[in-house]
Amino acid sequence: MAEKLNKRWVSLSKTSLDVAAAYQFLQTPAAGGIALFIGTTRQWTGSRETTLLVYESYEPMALREMHLLIDLAVRRWPISRACILHRLGEVPLAEASVLVGVATPHRPEAFEACRFLIDRLKVQIPIWKQEHFTDGQVHWIEGSEPPETTVT
Amino acid sequence: MVSFEVQLYSVLRSKLAAASVNLEIHDGITAGEVLDALCHRYPLMAPYRNIMRLAVNQEYAPESRIIHTGDELALITPVSGG
Repeated sequence: MAEKLNKRWVSLSKTSLDVAAAYQFLQTPAAGGIALFIGTTRQWTGSRETTLLVYESYEPMALREMHLLIDLAVRRWPISRACILHRLGEVPLAEASVLVGVATPHRPEAFEACRFLIDRLKVQIPIWKQEHFTDGQVHWIEGSEPPETTVT
Repeated sequence: MVSFEVQLYSVLRSKLAAASVNLEIHDGITAGEVLDALCHRYPLMAPYRNIMRLAVNQEYAPESRIIHTGDELALITPVSGG
């Protein structure tokens, strides 16, 4: 009997993301596959060198939206476990800013659900990144499209 | 008239050098009218009029949503998490 319980873990934190804890959370006998995406601070964007990213969030709404995205994903794929963890404040080079993970019975839906969650997070969840460059410039990353919304 | 505090984040918080702004509006106006009123009162917001959304009680609100006294309001410009 497949496990119906879909456990979830969402969080915003100012400290390093604990990848081992996320993996442990995702482990379940119901799953044959775990997909885990980790977004990290990249040093170079074209010819510009980044020294640091700083994230801020409208926290209570971001947590609500994270739950909404998992609700949507659970309706589309047989997900036993899902987590969305995002770091706030300063994230130095190479460190993780976001971790999205899912556990599903088989590999294809693990990849699909994980991709869905990170793609939607990036256009929907009220979190913003500020980029600090080596030349001392600081700017907010500004998209050109209004945030996506979930139709429930 | 009712006074609302509207929370600002990211680029709007930086441009207006404030974590929130106050707006005097009539109870019962729509989210779209709130956005218009904010852009009129704070011209620095105007370039964002068509790409920002109003969050009402921590949810994205359609522009037709009616705003009532006590609602928690925040402006959400294009997001860039991840």
